Amino acid sequence: MRVSTNNLFEAGIAAINRQQQDLLKTQQQLSTGRRVLTPADDPIASTRALQVEQADAVNAQYGINGKAAAASLGLAEQALAHGIGALQNVRARIIEAGNGAFGFKELRSIAADLRGLRAELLGAANATDGEGLYLFAGYQAGAKPFVETAGGVQYVGDDGVRRAQVSASRQIAVSDSGADAFMRIPQGNGSFVVSAAAGNTGNGTYDLGSVTDPALLTGADYRIDFTVAAGVTTFDVVNVTSGATVLAAQPYASGAAIEFDGVRIQIAGAPANGDRFDIAPGRNQDIFATLDGLIGALEGFSADDAGRARLTNGLTTAVGNVDQALDRLAMTRSNIGTRMREVESLAASGEDLSLQYQQTLSGLRDLDYAKAISDLTRQRTYLEAAQQTFLQVSRLSLFDFLR
Amino acid sequence: MSSGLFGIGLSGLNAAQAGLLTTGHNISNAATPGFNRQQVLQSNSTPQLSGAGYFGTGVDVDTVRRIYSQFLDQQVVSSQARSSELDSYYAQLRQLDNVLADPSMGLSPVLQTFFAAVQDVATHPANAASRQSLLSAASMLDSRFELIDNRFRELRAGVDADIQSTIGTVNTYASEIARLNQAIVLAKGLSGGHPPNDLLDQRDRLVLDLNKLIRATTVPQDDGSLNVFIGNGQPLVAGVDTLRLVAVRDSQDSSRMTVGFQTPGGVTQLPESTLGGGSLGGLLAFRAQALDATQNALGRVAVVLAERFNAQHRLGQDLSGVLGGNFFSVAAPTVIAATGNTGNAMLSAAYADAGALTASDYRIAFDGANYTITRLSDSTQTVTGALPATLDGFTLTLASGAFAAGDSFVVRPTRDGAAGLSLLIGDPARIAAAAPIRTAQAATNTGTGSISGGSVNPPPPVDANLQQPVTINFTGPNTFDVTGAGTGNPVGLAYVPGQDISFNGWTVQISGAPAAGDSFTVGPNTGGIADNRNALLLGALQTAMLVGNGSASLQSAYAALVGDVGRRTNELEVTSRAEATLLGQHTAARESFSGVNLDEEAANLVRYQQAYQAAGKVLQVAATMFETILEIGR
Repeated sequence: MRVSTNNLFEAGIAAINRQQQDLLKTQQQLSTGRRVLTPADDPIASTRALQVEQADAVNAQYGINGKAAAASLGLAEQALAHGIGALQNVRARIIEAGNGAFGFKELRSIAADLRGLRAELLGAANATDGEGLYLFAGYQAGAKPFVETAGGVQYVGDDGVRRAQVSASRQIAVSDSGADAFMRIPQGNGSFVVSAAAGNTGNGTYDLGSVTDPALLTGADYRIDFTVAAGVTTFDVVNVTSGATVLAAQPYASGAAIEFDGVRIQIAGAPANGDRFDIAPGRNQDIFATLDGLIGALEGFSADDAGRARLTNGLTTAVGNVDQALDRLAMTRSNIGTRMREVESLAASGEDLSLQYQQTLSGLRDLDYAKAISDLTRQRTYLEAAQQTFLQVSRLSLFDFLR
Repeated sequence: MSSGLFGIGLSGLNAAQAGLLTTGHNISNAATPGFNRQQVLQSNSTPQLSGAGYFGTGVDVDTVRRIYSQFLDQQVVSSQARSSELDSYYAQLRQLDNVLADPSMGLSPVLQTFFAAVQDVATHPANAASRQSLLSAASMLDSRFELIDNRFRELRAGVDADIQSTIGTVNTYASEIARLNQAIVLAKGLSGGHPPNDLLDQRDRLVLDLNKLIRATTVPQDDGSLNVFIGNGQPLVAGVDTLRLVAVRDSQDSSRMTVGFQTPGGVTQLPESTLGGGSLGGLLAFRAQALDATQNALGRVAVVLAERFNAQHRLGQDLSGVLGGNFFSVAAPTVIAATGNTGNAMLSAAYADAGALTASDYRIAFDGANYTITRLSDSTQTVTGALPATLDGFTLTLASGAFAAGDSFVVRPTRDGAAGLSLLIGDPARIAAAAPIRTAQAATNTGTGSISGGSVNPPPPVDANLQQPVTINFTGPNTFDVTGAGTGNPVGLAYVPGQDISFNGWTVQISGAPAAGDSFTVGPNTGGIADNRNALLLGALQTAMLVGNGSASLQSAYAALVGDVGRRTNELEVTSRAEATLLGQHTAARESFSGVNLDEEAANLVRYQQAYQAAGKVLQVAATMFETILEIGR
């Protein structure tokens, strides 16, 4: 095949150009540390890398959200711990007040203590985070949720629960409703509440009562009327809601159990004629109203039999309600603890995921230095060879030999 | 004519001299592009009859011909047209690829920062600093969209400018070819049939150069001139006449330049599909296939983000308790009337469902009875009898006037999406992070029922009675009544735990076991500054499948756009390299046939030189013979 002189030169130059291009590309890769310099180098890897980047950023964001959630939950937990501490002190005081030897002065001082503890509890309920927003106010965190009014403490927040997105599929509640923690607490033993009529003149005292068979509970209001005739005390149990008499003219023995319709209570002491005890289904109490009632009972103590019986009954009711409140606060606190643990474990798995994403990204985009350096050496050799051969071939000319 | 030995020697000398001239010419032009080596054709002269037989009378130089193969030359020309087209397309694509290459200059990091800021507002909804950083991040997102879109616009303007300059050069070549046609015809006529080799070489060179700009086919004429045709048969050069190409605004779409030619009556536009080959073909292919599609895809990401973010934002409530408004503002889809429209219709377009938008442009044409809407990416047509018409996520409405038969408009739903995006909110308090409603259960409830936080039903606008207080009263463990304005106050509804209960544009779920007499309320969320429900929903848009009828998220739509450009560029790199190799091979084949080999010419020099010397010797001998004759007579 005939070769023209132009061909010789052009072929040689073209070869040198090609090698230079490849060499330049490898040099750029080495200096940036990236295998994929533009999307054209590896379109599939580029697309995938962009998506992995977003997944990584989203995952990191979940971690940040988790940290913020843990901080909020920690603050709430602290406030609840504070409240539980106050309530436990209240309970101790109540037990103290049951000491028969205490008189008006001692009870007064206990009442003063209780006022202080009530204020402490109110402070815990109105706790704020570092930015001045109230923890237990629901969505209206700008306004104090538990306010003192003439009729006691009122909750003016709402039931809103703020959530945080801590993983792709999980939104965790980071706030708790103040109403649930402090206001909507069951009374008494959780099913029904026993109380003594205000006009009782005897010294009958009741206990909190218990449920013998939940299936038999009717949810109706009941009344136990005592009749003392000729030294014999009997009582009737009337279903106020239906008007029916459930138990009639039962002989009364102090401390004996009275059972009806799934309810069992014990009355001790000596009720007078016409004394009445009411049994109602449990409604919701708020702990502040309970404390207010307790303080009133302590401060309104009169030293006679009936007065002592009233105090005992008041303390019994209060203990029951305070126990329920302690349970509720402890449950809320443990709920928060569970959530904090969940956030922690999600944070740990989020970190693992982040590591995986980084590895994937590196595999897609980063340069294999060993391969690149050996490529560079190889291409340099090729370029040198192309240049040398070009020089040699282009130097050959017949004109050199024509004289 | 010969006169014995002297004549023979002279003819030999002439022939050798012609050979030397031609060889010298070849050597001098060895590096001239497009030069075909020339060769002297000599033949022996008519013999003279004498008594002893026929005696030769020397050599005649017939002509100088160029070593030229039309077939090989044609191969090079058509390969050049293809190669230039691919090279030009590839070069433009490389620029596009570079715009999207640097990951930190792309859209992703800014999009992620924006959604991180949304999450921050969800975590601290009442915090002024978090809200302000959301506004800053949104502003940065807006700027980044514009930055990338501006680069696209620059490339587009570059294409327009290149089209103009290419057409100018094409016109120059065309007039040069016409001039050469004239000269060749003249020269051929003057010489009585000898080919004017160098002029022919020049003309072939011009045709090759022309093919670098646009594919041109040639038809040689009998008189020696060459007719050049472009497109689907437009005669660029016919003899000595040329067609003048001009860059004109596309009559269908006045925002772009295209190619037309000058006629006595005005300018006629050439359809772009016929103008393949050469760098012009590459530019047009780049614009139609890559640039338009990429800019549309970016615009689509912007429009979908803005529309969906706005839709969710309007379901929320800001820090002052006012219902959320639009967060971003988006320009309406671009509508361009064809310049030849005779009717006075004003067409307007609006977005209907951003999730259904495609990255294609559309044309709507009226034939007198029906409107035909063509999706230009795959040429599917939809025929409708009346406007307004909605398809693929946008609605076309006749704002005023009427179509005349033959009118058409081009609709670009997403082309200007990225440029038209802007932030509407300036006050951080107006970010709607909260939901407008909240629920509560009565303190006196005895059952174990609980009510969810509540959500607002999409799409906006919200129900007029959304924030009216509504009470759900349980009359028994399994039935409830609803009271409140706008609910119709239904009674005796059956209770299923966890089922959606929806009135006045909101939805709640009640679960657990409510007792008779329990009640739940739904009402306005006054003072709800720590509510982040809407912010959580806004944050969820980052990973939701918003684009392309639920097939891609915002990030994956952007990644697909980048990957598409990368893929095209990669493809073009491979094909242009392959075509360049092919061109190299064809050129080598042509060169091996027609190119000058200096060594060969050196040998020819020696040959003709010796022939000259030998012929000179013959002349010397002839002269000596003559002197001998003269000596006899003295």
